[in-house]
Amino acid sequence: MNLPPHITSPGKKRAAVPDRTPVYAMVGNPNCGKTTLFNALTGLRQKVGNYPGVTVEKKIGETYSQHGKPIKIIDLPGAYSLAARSPDEAVLRDVLLGRRADTPQPDRIICVVDASNLERNLYLVHQILDLGRPLIVVLNMMDLATGAGLHIDPKKLAEELGVVVVACEAVRGKGIVALRLAMSRIELPLARHRWDVPAPIAPAVAELQASLCDADQRSPLIARAEALLLLTDLDSVRVAGSKPISPRTIEVLSSWRKRWEGNGTDWSGTLIRSRYEAINQLCAQVLRRTRVEGPSISDRIDRVLVHSLWGWLFFGLIMAALFFSIFTLAEYPMDWIDTHMAALGNWVKTSMTPGDLRDLMVGGVIGGISPIVKFLPQIMILFFFVGLLESTGYMARAAFIMDRPMSKVGLHGKSFIPLLGSYACAIPGIMATRTIENAKDRLVTILVAPLMSCSARLPVYLLMIATLLPNTSVSAWSKVGIMLLMYVLGTAGAFGFAWLFKRTLFRSAPPLMIMELPPYQRPRFKEISRQMIERAWLFLKNAGTIILGISIVLWFLTTFPKHPDPNATPDAQIAHSFAGQAGHFIEPVIKPLGFDWRIGIGLITSFAAREVFVSSMGVIFGVESADEDTTPVRDALKNARWPSGAVLFTPLVCFTLMVYYVFAMQCMSTVAVVKRETNSWKWPLFQIAYMTGTAWLVCFAIFQVGRALGF
Amino acid sequence: MSSPLHLLPLCQLPVGTTARICVIHGDEGFAQRVREMGFGEAALVTKISGRTTSLCQVNGTRIALNHDAAMAILVEALPAGAR
Repeated sequence: MNLPPHITSPGKKRAAVPDRTPVYAMVGNPNCGKTTLFNALTGLRQKVGNYPGVTVEKKIGETYSQHGKPIKIIDLPGAYSLAARSPDEAVLRDVLLGRRADTPQPDRIICVVDASNLERNLYLVHQILDLGRPLIVVLNMMDLATGAGLHIDPKKLAEELGVVVVACEAVRGKGIVALRLAMSRIELPLARHRWDVPAPIAPAVAELQASLCDADQRSPLIARAEALLLLTDLDSVRVAGSKPISPRTIEVLSSWRKRWEGNGTDWSGTLIRSRYEAINQLCAQVLRRTRVEGPSISDRIDRVLVHSLWGWLFFGLIMAALFFSIFTLAEYPMDWIDTHMAALGNWVKTSMTPGDLRDLMVGGVIGGISPIVKFLPQIMILFFFVGLLESTGYMARAAFIMDRPMSKVGLHGKSFIPLLGSYACAIPGIMATRTIENAKDRLVTILVAPLMSCSARLPVYLLMIATLLPNTSVSAWSKVGIMLLMYVLGTAGAFGFAWLFKRTLFRSAPPLMIMELPPYQRPRFKEISRQMIERAWLFLKNAGTIILGISIVLWFLTTFPKHPDPNATPDAQIAHSFAGQAGHFIEPVIKPLGFDWRIGIGLITSFAAREVFVSSMGVIFGVESADEDTTPVRDALKNARWPSGAVLFTPLVCFTLMVYYVFAMQCMSTVAVVKRETNSWKWPLFQIAYMTGTAWLVCFAIFQVGRALGF
Repeated sequence: MSSPLHLLPLCQLPVGTTARICVIHGDEGFAQRVREMGFGEAALVTKISGRTTSLCQVNGTRIALNHDAAMAILVEALPAGAR
């Protein structure tokens, strides 16, 4: 009787079960369903963070063997190959090769393969087999393969490769039990890698392997795998936390490369072709095509969605729906949060003894948390929409459609997604640039993303428009027109600066975009919701802590030093404070833009969050509850005067102030995220300089020309 | 062996035509990534749409390339029905 593999027959000694929790690494091509499988195995038992020193997400989850013992799984970034082209792929390579001190080399590897695309997916498997680690191959999306007339024999594939192969449909939960049983096995068979290194490069591999064993202390199998990888790892993307290879190995590699360049040997091409020949021979054994594939459903949908005319129309509709959701649907939960945060502030005010501590709690802490919590519905809607578009496969088509306009400014379609996200908030937009492989393109996208008018600017625009056009008989179209103009200015600014940067500071050859368009799939709402909550929590944790810290500092700056008169009004107190002194200090610089020291305080406090400008104006002009209703603030602004008696908030000043907010870099939490994503202070400081400098110049031009024309 | 006159950039391949990839220009990193995705020399590619940004099918995978990438890949169009 054939016993299941996890049950040993009597008489065979059972290997001792290791005490520590075994660690699996889950790898696979992008779009192979790896994350769905990871979520199916681990459920909510996941921890998400970053690899130290590098902006790549680290996801570790826990599942249980059939004996109830915990198993750790590291979900590594998706990649087509171990030859790294981006930080994501570099982390994958480094973890599998044991190059990272913060992440021990995994005990076993699960390689997820898209069964409908076997040949391409087996390339990564072929490289991983070189590592000689225990391996389980998961043939995912078997339903899609069958639908396309492809029949794979998992048993034959297991026999040929000498590893465990599990057929699976992760979306439907099929095959998860079999996978868990395979993961529970005490011993996994060692792979039978029947591939020989091509003769032209075999001597180089041998010499590199020897050097890696001696000088880099690698085990022989890992040394061989790494030697093969070094021959295709052209740029050797290195990330923080990765152990460098020894100078001796680098010397061996350089001397072989020089030799091949001299005699025209295409070592990388030879290696890749050889692997694909082996893969094609393997597929001939295990894969049968029962029919010639006609146009798939995805092909038929793509005829419309990537059509040069209909594609744009559909794209426009999707974007309109996204913006409608962000700016309209989110209003109800935002109002609810606003009301309750105000109620919390009032409760603290009435419960605590008047004094600095109470003011700190209300003004610093609650005042700091309120804006970030208030914008959470918009952030979550954005994440939901982005998740929906990614899940269905449309996001890749959007990047494809946007590639042409983006290429006019030297970027490619992949930069579109971060810029789109920045319309809600620049922070998730900037974090989304991690998918851009080219470092220069990524940096340019990060530098221009904050120019896309984020939702935090809306309260400022609304207040200025209300002050500018107070008459309710003025058509709503005028107000919408001005709002739209601000968005167009910001977008034009982003594209303009991207064009400039790509031709000056970040000059490089035009980006070559090659991107897989996954087949369309039904949206998986459970996964989308989980991702939305996960990303929103990360956003809240990262941005929230920064904004809270800055808010407390700004509260201090607006509260101290205390006005000598204990009965001084709030506006007198703020004028006397450090922030007020700073407002007076910068007044000579902002006066040519039509701003006085009181607006200057608003510009300074906006560094916590742009929408803080509204409440600052409320405090400065002595209006309570400015956030709940801008009408009293608007009226107060209209009555504000210069010492000479001239009106402060003229229509020209209102317009200039809006334009200032379009271009100026004011959000410190964005600055902090840019610093983290670029691993340096150089770029966030450059960003503050160029954006604020542009804001000043443009506003100076608008105000001075406008005044000369009699506005 | 094909005469160089029969090679054309992928972006100029007519929609619906199948071709064999013959030459991959561009920087080494791009060429290598293209080969690793199964888009190497001798692979068969079918153009699905696009004149600037190109949408193609290789081994059942749908691949999008921008104009510069599609210019860097030279193909030899196959006669209709040949594969």
